[in-house]
Amino acid sequence: MGTDYLNLVPHLVEAGKFQDFVNAGQTLSSVLSPLDNSLAIYATNLNPPTADDGHTLEDEQSLYIASLDNAPSSGRRLFLTDTLQIFTTMRQLKQDATSKVIHWTSDSEILIHIRKLSIDYSNFIESHWVDASTPALPPETSSSQSSSEHFRKLYTCFSLFVCLFLPEPGDERAPVGETLMVWLNTHFIEPSTEEGVQLSALDRPWEDELFWPYLTRAILRGLSKASVFFLGVLEKHPSEKLQTITSTLIPLVESQPSLVDFKAESDFAFAFRRWREKVKALRIDMDRVPEVDRSDGFDNWWDKLSDIVGILEGRHDVIQRICEDMGADWKEVCVAWCTFVDPRMRRDELFEVAASVIADMPPDPTDPEDMLHASLFTANHTETLHHAHQLDSWLSAHLADIMEFIDLIDSTVDEESEISIRDHYVLSYADHLHSDPALWRVTVDYMYSCGEIGQKRADEVLLRVPLKLHQQNSNLMVDSRIRAGDIVGVLKDVNKTCFEYKREHVRRTVCRIAAQTLVSEKDYGLAVSYCTSAEDWRGLARIVDRVLDEYITSGPRKFTQYALAIAPSVQELRLQSAIQGVFVHRLIFAVRYARFHELVDKQEYEDAAADLLAIFIEDVAPTSWWAVVLCDATKLLRYTPVALFPSSGASLLLQKLEEIFVRTSQGASDDYLAVLIRVLGCRGEKEALERLKTVRLALAQYFSRSLVSGLGRG
Amino acid sequence: MIQTGLIQNVHGDLVTDACYDFYGLRLATCSLDQRIKVWQLDENNTWNVEDDWKAHDAAVSKLSWAHPEFGSIIASASFDRTVKIWEQSTAQADAQQSNNVNGSAQIHVPITSRWIERAVLSDAKGTVRAVEFVPHHFGLKLATISTDNMLRIYECVEQPSLVSWQLTEELDVLSIAAGPSPGYLSRAHTMALATPTQTSATLEGASATLVAQALQQSQNAAAGTPNSQARAGLGNREADGGWCLSWCKDKYWGEVIAAGCGTTGVIKIIQINARRSSTLLTLSSSPTTDASTSSSTHVGTTDPTDSRTSSSSASTYAITSVAWAPSCGRSYHLVATGGRDGHVRIWKVKPGSEDIDTENVAMGMSTGESESDDSKWTAVAVADFDQHKSAVGRVEWNITGTILSSAGNDGRIRLWKATSGNVWRPAGSVGVEQTEEPTQPNSKDVDMDA
Repeated sequence: MGTDYLNLVPHLVEAGKFQDFVNAGQTLSSVLSPLDNSLAIYATNLNPPTADDGHTLEDEQSLYIASLDNAPSSGRRLFLTDTLQIFTTMRQLKQDATSKVIHWTSDSEILIHIRKLSIDYSNFIESHWVDASTPALPPETSSSQSSSEHFRKLYTCFSLFVCLFLPEPGDERAPVGETLMVWLNTHFIEPSTEEGVQLSALDRPWEDELFWPYLTRAILRGLSKASVFFLGVLEKHPSEKLQTITSTLIPLVESQPSLVDFKAESDFAFAFRRWREKVKALRIDMDRVPEVDRSDGFDNWWDKLSDIVGILEGRHDVIQRICEDMGADWKEVCVAWCTFVDPRMRRDELFEVAASVIADMPPDPTDPEDMLHASLFTANHTETLHHAHQLDSWLSAHLADIMEFIDLIDSTVDEESEISIRDHYVLSYADHLHSDPALWRVTVDYMYSCGEIGQKRADEVLLRVPLKLHQQNSNLMVDSRIRAGDIVGVLKDVNKTCFEYKREHVRRTVCRIAAQTLVSEKDYGLAVSYCTSAEDWRGLARIVDRVLDEYITSGPRKFTQYALAIAPSVQELRLQSAIQGVFVHRLIFAVRYARFHELVDKQEYEDAAADLLAIFIEDVAPTSWWAVVLCDATKLLRYTPVALFPSSGASLLLQKLEEIFVRTSQGASDDYLAVLIRVLGCRGEKEALERLKTVRLALAQYFSRSLVSGLGRG
Repeated sequence: MIQTGLIQNVHGDLVTDACYDFYGLRLATCSLDQRIKVWQLDENNTWNVEDDWKAHDAAVSKLSWAHPEFGSIIASASFDRTVKIWEQSTAQADAQQSNNVNGSAQIHVPITSRWIERAVLSDAKGTVRAVEFVPHHFGLKLATISTDNMLRIYECVEQPSLVSWQLTEELDVLSIAAGPSPGYLSRAHTMALATPTQTSATLEGASATLVAQALQQSQNAAAGTPNSQARAGLGNREADGGWCLSWCKDKYWGEVIAAGCGTTGVIKIIQINARRSSTLLTLSSSPTTDASTSSSTHVGTTDPTDSRTSSSSASTYAITSVAWAPSCGRSYHLVATGGRDGHVRIWKVKPGSEDIDTENVAMGMSTGESESDDSKWTAVAVADFDQHKSAVGRVEWNITGTILSSAGNDGRIRLWKATSGNVWRPAGSVGVEQTEEPTQPNSKDVDMDA
């Protein structure tokens, strides 16, 4: 994570001098990017410019880009995508669970799964911690979210959560002490191995100042091997009294009952009581040692040994004092408490004890990890999520997800924010993921796992996934696949995600945008397929208009090429009788008109004439295009080898032509002549009408020829 | 927060606005130098200038991108009192189209640009300060606001060519009639006063220093201008006022816009309706203003071009910026405002019940309180921040409405986020001052004990 207070470089003003900047009529402004959590920052004018403001600033203007979050490093990214797999499985499990039973926390089968998946999370964190600790990798700063230190913190917190709240089914009411001791000894190793090695090399280690603290800590941590070894060393101690006590103490330390050795908890409790009685007997023996014998002239060994026996006796005042003396924290006291003071302590009892310990020995408020441990120990779930969020939004999101699943937190929707606690943290994490646009799939997966608010937010992200159509189209191979009807690349992924989460409106908008992009690249055929896919008939109509426009701006040849590209779609659309509207006629007109030009080009005049007539017979041409089509008929009318039109057809042409003349004279020239005027590039109505007169002449000649030769077909 | 980039030499003069396209892959900037530039993000994460052209005859004030389903279109507002519509054209289409397009707009293609001027909207009688395309589901339309206090809505009537835009609404923001709720004013204001936990105690003090600051600034500004007397009348009004707008992003409520103008210190939530547009709600940021002075139904009688009446009232500060958050599934809206009083406010705006029609709206005005509360739009300020301690120039939401940014004359861009209890909190800040020490204490800006 970055700092919350950032100053950009190069600086624009000296520290504390922004007011000078303001006095000079400048201030700062910014704009947030939809792509990721970044913003562009620039100096701007404070006051509106005035007309006589002739000034230009000599200074070079810069625009800064800053981001809320560091984009994840490759290691972190791997971690984020890896854990998504577990998250997805967990979601699936939840769906199955909710559909099967109503209250499923009692269903141990599901709990086994939740526990297993949570351990999977833990294992993933551990393996990423190990990877990040590999010295071969360039060292990351300790604050970085991909540093080994960061993964270590996640590991301690997540595994503690599993220890406390996801016991093996059946163990919910079992003593928690030993599990916690394993957790403490795994993550917070004390006393250090180096000290042990150092002490074991000495002949008279008890004379070293580290000796007693080391031994006491080893006892406190239940490290029986180390404890027994150094107690054994004491058998060489000059004091006979000490030797005697030690020889009793060693078998006691070795024989401390462990829960794992018992099948029933009651057996463990019984064994522990008997063991505790032996410890008490030892205390009586110790108390009999006269005051004068309690020191070896170097140290008061009796006091030290008394502390150790005090721990074994389970005296919490002793344990707390020792911990304070050794600089051990509240965690150590809590764990020692449920190991020595009350070895039968269950999870629900721990929370109360931990609260009282923490009241005396508070955690470090500047250390989110420590605060998080404390809130876990006291089962304060709201606090847990709060501190987890400070540590890493990944942690709070995944903890909240499990916590809601196992009913630790309320799943009801907050009245104000209208989202549940779980959704709040999952969405907050998704916001963090959004800082890396490449992680859009992961981002929306998390968002879609939330309620309606999450889904709507995911829609916004999904809509803005860059489609990169340009890059696709530059690849010929891909291009041909698209033409074959395949949606490829990012668009395909986005489409798939939309189907997966049933976001049809998103899919349609994305298709509309894709179509628009393709239109601007004059890839009309593909644009029509996307419009059809989006059922965007208005868009389709616009494409047809664009294609028809090509006739005007680029001439018949280009037009034919573009219009024929949309022909296959027309066939499909005509089959769907449900689709109606003017645009369908227009679409048919465009394609038919293009085919007409193609046929003329190939000198297949008879077919061309038939197509031209069909345009009028089927009444598919917009009125504004009649004049243009009629002008195209001139050439065919003057074709002498054969008469191409039946007399009825020629009559139809004449009828249309006369309609244009009549309507134009009535003032509707805009409706009838606009396109022709543009095609001819002429100045106005008059010229266009002149041109149509040549059509009339051609028609007249055609009729007369037909009469004279009797060649007319029909 | 972390710095991730720097574009040097963006413009020849101060940048007036910057606007990302739909995807955030392109950035349009405009400047006092009258030019617009379009920057593109390449695969190496660097921004390169793609296009650069002189767009207006005066400084450009604001930019807005149309939704990509309409193509690559930018609207620019300017101090030359016009709004222009620009379309990016593919190189091959340029030459042909520029010759052939007919319509009201004069087509000239700057050599350096592939952006073609498609239309010039020149109805404004003052400098145009804001422009924003309507959410795409309502079609290709845009709203503009200018210092004549008019909110104008335009609709493109010839979509592929973009040359023909119809002025469909022209609303005097000060006098636009109230909508369905006669009780909205008192409700909105009482609720606005009941602001949460923040700084109301320090408000008076802060306001006093701000007045002094503002005076000093205008003096400085005046002194720095050669022809200072000439600009004193209009110039001060233009400098003290704020003209801003922001569309409601939701389709469900129809075309609803938040707009503010001049020095009134209020934002009006306006329902745009072909039959009769009306004010649904007024957000009044100034606790000392009594309801009548900011009442939308009465202010209409004052001449909107004469701002001295309203600016003489020391208790109102112009709202310089308004931002309507995407509601993203929430049942209510969040509208953020920033003003010269140094406050960033977040308003929770609750729409009225679903079956309001405008006929009843008119009736509701006369029947008064008899109408059920459910049918009225209501607002309550859910956050009120004065951390900038100086005028705020811009507020803006991210695409999901979860992060609010604000820019102030304290030289910092501040970010705000909601915590799990839905309490809005500072979430970091960015500035351009030289860093005194290599590490700044984190606690300087962020309240850690959230």
